[in-house]
Amino acid sequence: MTTSTGTPSLHADSPLAREQAGLDACVHCGFCLQACPTYLALEDESDSPRGRIVLMRALLDGSLPASDPDLRQHIDQCLGCRACETACPSGVPYGHLLEATRATMRGGHAPTFASRILLAVFAHRPLMRFAMAMARLLAATPIPTLLLKLPGRLGFGMAMLASTDFPLERAKYVAHGSGENGSAALLLGCVMEGLFTETNRATERVLRRNDYSMIAAPSQGCCGALHAHAGELGAARRLAKRNIAAFEKSGAQYIVTNSAGCGAMMKEYGHLFSGDAEWSQRASDVASRVRDVSELLAAAGPRSGGVIPFAVAYDAPCHLQHAQRITEAPLTVLRAIPGIELVPLDESDQCCGSAGIYNLLEPETSDAVLERKLDRIEASGAALVATGNPGCLMQIGGGLLRADMRARAVHPVDLLDASYAAD
Amino acid sequence: MTEPAATSVAEELRAIVGDRFVLERDAVLLAYQSDGLPGYHKRPSLAVFPGSRDETIEVVRLLATTGTSFVPRGAGTGLSGGALADDVVLLGLHRLKAVLDVDIARMRATVEPGVVNAALNKRLARHGVFYAPDPSSEAACTIGGNVAENAGGPHCLKYGVTLNHILAATVLLPDGEVMEIGDRDGGMAGYDLLGAFIGSEGCFGVALDITVRLTRRPAAVRTALADFAHVADATRATSAIIASGVVPAALEFMDNGTIRVVEESIFAAGYPIDAAAILLIEVDGSEESSDAEMEVVRSLCMESGARTVRVATNEAERMRLWQGRKKAFGAMGRLAPNLVVQDAVIPRTQLTDILAQIHAIGDSHGLTVCNVFHAGDGNLHPNISYDAGDPDQVERVHDAMSAIMQACITAGGSITGEHGVGLDKLPYMTKLFDEPTLAAMCDLRNAFDPDHRSNPGKVVPVHSCREWLAAPAARAPARRATDAR
Ligand SMILES: Cc1cc2nc3c(=O)[nH]c(=O)nc-3n(C[C@H](O)[C@H](O)[C@H](O)COP(=O)(O)OP(=O)(O)OC[C@H]3O[C@@H](n4cnc5c(N)ncnc54)[C@H](O)[C@@H]3O)c2cc1C
Ligand code: SF4
Ligand code: SF4
Repeated sequence: MTTSTGTPSLHADSPLAREQAGLDACVHCGFCLQACPTYLALEDESDSPRGRIVLMRALLDGSLPASDPDLRQHIDQCLGCRACETACPSGVPYGHLLEATRATMRGGHAPTFASRILLAVFAHRPLMRFAMAMARLLAATPIPTLLLKLPGRLGFGMAMLASTDFPLERAKYVAHGSGENGSAALLLGCVMEGLFTETNRATERVLRRNDYSMIAAPSQGCCGALHAHAGELGAARRLAKRNIAAFEKSGAQYIVTNSAGCGAMMKEYGHLFSGDAEWSQRASDVASRVRDVSELLAAAGPRSGGVIPFAVAYDAPCHLQHAQRITEAPLTVLRAIPGIELVPLDESDQCCGSAGIYNLLEPETSDAVLERKLDRIEASGAALVATGNPGCLMQIGGGLLRADMRARAVHPVDLLDASYAAD
Repeated sequence: MTEPAATSVAEELRAIVGDRFVLERDAVLLAYQSDGLPGYHKRPSLAVFPGSRDETIEVVRLLATTGTSFVPRGAGTGLSGGALADDVVLLGLHRLKAVLDVDIARMRATVEPGVVNAALNKRLARHGVFYAPDPSSEAACTIGGNVAENAGGPHCLKYGVTLNHILAATVLLPDGEVMEIGDRDGGMAGYDLLGAFIGSEGCFGVALDITVRLTRRPAAVRTALADFAHVADATRATSAIIASGVVPAALEFMDNGTIRVVEESIFAAGYPIDAAAILLIEVDGSEESSDAEMEVVRSLCMESGARTVRVATNEAERMRLWQGRKKAFGAMGRLAPNLVVQDAVIPRTQLTDILAQIHAIGDSHGLTVCNVFHAGDGNLHPNISYDAGDPDQVERVHDAMSAIMQACITAGGSITGEHGVGLDKLPYMTKLFDEPTLAAMCDLRNAFDPDHRSNPGKVVPVHSCREWLAAPAARAPARRATDAR
C-alpha cells in the first residue's frame, strides 16, 4: 500500500497534514467522478476528485514534490466547486483538502503573479472600491457591449461587465415590515456592493418586507473566500478577523449574504480558525449566525407580490448547493413569485465554470464547462436564469451575451424585489 | 517501460488519439494505479484514451502489431483489481460515451462502452423504460465494465443480472479483428459467444458497443423498511418471503454497523440505528398486485419478529431509502482509512449460519465485519474497515477474509457473486476449481485471445495457463497436473 497512512510524511506540519483524516476518508469508490465538471470536460481522472486526492496523498507522503508540474496543473484546474462533496458517501471534506493542498504547495502564496495581484486588490478596501468604481463607470458606457465579442479574456471581461445590467425594470417602492422575524446585517461583499449595488439594496428591501429588521455592520470587508481557495490561508484569516469583529459589534441576530461564495466562506470561519485558542470560538459563533438570503426568505414565507411573467430556470451556485447544502430555499423563493414558470434545467447542480477567479486563470477549462451550461440553458427554453452568486451571474450572463442567446441571468432576490415593486 | 521501443509506441498512439490522451509520466499515472479496491497499486507502462470507435480499433491494431499487452478500463469502480495494468498499457474506454441508438419499439438501446449506467437510465427515463441491472455503483460504473463483470445489483433478484439484459455486442478482439456477437433482435443460433463474453473481465477483448434490452417501468412500486432486533429474525424473514412465492424486485440486508455509517453520511436514509439488522424490500407490478404482495411481505416480517415495517409513502422517501443502501460501501470510509469489500455467494438456506460464522471470524481476529448484501439471492458482501498502515491489522484482515471465503466455499457457495475474480481472487480459484476446469477456461480464453495480451494475468491463475501455453506438446499432462500452486 502506498496510501499516506503510516508513511513518514515530508510535510508533517503542513496544512495538508492537518487534514489527514479527510484524505483517509476517501475509499476510491469513484462515485464523485460523474459529479465533477472538470472530469466531464477533460476526461482524465487526474482532473477528478478521486484522482486529485491521489495526487494530494502523493504530495503529503513525499512521493511527489510540491514543484511537480503535473501536480500543479491538476490541482490548479480544480474549480473548487465541491460538487464532489455532495456525491461522496464517505464524507470527504474535499473543499478543505483543496485549500490545504494549495497552501502546502505554495507555502501560502497564490499560484500566479496575476492571481496574487488580484487577491491583493480584494484584500485592500480602498483599492477594491477604486477598482469597482472604475468597473461601474465602464459598465455604464456602451463600451462593454461593443467589445464583448472580442476574443480572449478581454472580450469575456467586457461581456461579464455588460451582463451586470439588470434586464427588468427597477421600479421604486418602500418596503415596510414588522421586523418581528429578527435582525439581520448584510455582508455587502466586494463584487456585490461593487457591481451589483442595486441587488444589495433589493436584498435589504425584500428582507424588510419579510419582517426582518436590517442593521448595518460598517467596518466589514472582503470575506476572504478567494484567498482561502487559492491557498492564501494567512490572508484569509486576516480578512476573516476583521469581519468577525465587525459583525460581533453589529449585534445582529443573523448575518445575511446574497453571494453564495461569501456565505459558504463565512459559515466555515470556525474551521479556518480551528486550533486557534483566541479566535476559534468567536469564529464559530459568527459562523453559526450566517444565513443565505434565500434561507431567511424561505423561513418567512416569503410574502407574495405582483406578477412577473417569465419562464425562469434556477441554476444552483455550487457554493450554495454543495458547500452550504441549500437546495430548496431558492426554489421556495422563486415559487412564491406569481407569474413565474419554473422550467427544469438539466444539470442545474453543475458548476458554470466561474469558480471565483478561475475563469480568469484557467480560461480553457472554464469555457469548456460554461459551454455545457449554455447548451442546457438553451434546451430549457428559459428567458431568465436565476442564480444567487455574483461570479455565476457574470459567468452565465457574459456567456449568454457572447453566444447571442436570448436568456439573461438574474439574482433570485431581484426577481422577488421586482415582484414587490409590481404589487 | 523506458526502452526506446515503448516510446515509439507512445508516439504512434499520440498520433492516433492526440497528445493529451497518452499518459506516460509517473504523476499523471498515479490516478490509474487502483480501481475501486484501493488495496492494490499497479503502474501501467502508459495509458491511452481513445475518443472514438475508430481510434479504439486503430489503437488495438497498433498494440497487436507490436505485441503489446493491454488492460481495458471503464470507470475503475471494479472491486477485484480487474482494471489494473501491471507495467502494460492501460486502455481507458471512458471517453466512448455516446448512446448510439434508443429503439423503444424494439425495446433495445445500443451504447458505447463508456456510457455510465445511471446516465443511460437518465436518458431512458422519459420513455418509461429502463435498463434493469443496477449495481450500487450505477452512478459511476460503465456499461462496458458491467458487461465485463456481469454486474448484478439489488434489483437482479427479480430482473436478472447483466447477462439477462444484453442482446448483442461488437467486440474488438485483441488481434484487432472486429466481431459481432449475439443478435440485436434477440434471436439465437449457434454457440453462445455472447454468453461467454459477458463476465470475461476484459480477458476476451474490448466491447466496442453493446445492445441492451430495455424493460418497461412497472406501474407501481412499493418499498418497505423492516426493522429487526436480531439478525436471525431478519434472515428468517428473508427465507419466509422467498418461500412464500412472492418474488420481490429487491431484498437487501444491512446490519447494525452498516446502518450506522450510512446514517452518519449525507445519504442518511432514516434507518433505525438501534436495529440489529434491517431489510429493504421492494415489490413491483400493478397497483393491486404490489399492494397485495407488500401485505404478504409485511405480515411475514412481523411473524419473523420485525419490530416495525415501514412502507415508503412517496417517491422521495423511496429514493432516500435506496440511496442509503446504494452508498453504503462508500460510507464505510468514515470508519477507517481502508476498506475491503468481499463478494461471495452462498445457498440462501445457509444465511443465518454463515452470518454467525462471519461474526465469529471477525471476533477471533479482533475485527469488526459489516454486512450489507443482496439477501434475496444469497450474495454476501462482508466489509472490513482497517488501517493499511498497520501491518498487524493488514495480516489479520487478510486471514479473516480467507477464513470467510473458506466458510462460504465449504457451505457450497462461490467466491464471487458480481465483482469478478480479477487480481484479488486469483488465489481462491484453485480452491474452487480443479485443474481440468481451469484448463478448460484457458481453452476458452485462447479462442478469443490466444496470446493472452488482453488483461494478462487476471481471472485464471497464470500458472494454469502458462504451462498450457509454454508446452503445447505437453498439454495433456499439464491438464492433469495436481500441483495446485
Ligand atoms: C461502492 C461500490 C459498489 C459496487 N456495487 C456493485 C454492485 O452492486 N454490483 C456489482 O456487480 N458490482 C458492484 N461494484 C463493482 C463495480 O462497480 C462493477 O464491477 C462494475 O461493473 C465495474 O464497472 P467499471 O466501468 O468501473 O469497470 P472497471 O473497474 O474499469 O473494469 C472492470 C473490468 O472490466 C473490464 N472492462 C471494462 N470496460 C471494458 C470494455 N469496454 N470491454 C472489455 N472489458 C472491459 C476491465 O478490464 C476490468 O477487468 C461496486 C463497486 C463499488 C466501488
Ligand atoms: S466519492 Fe468520496 S470516497 Fe469515493 S472516490 Fe470520491 S472522494 Fe473518494
Ligand atoms: S471541487 Fe469541483 S472541480 Fe474540483 S474536484 Fe470537486 S467536483 Fe471536481
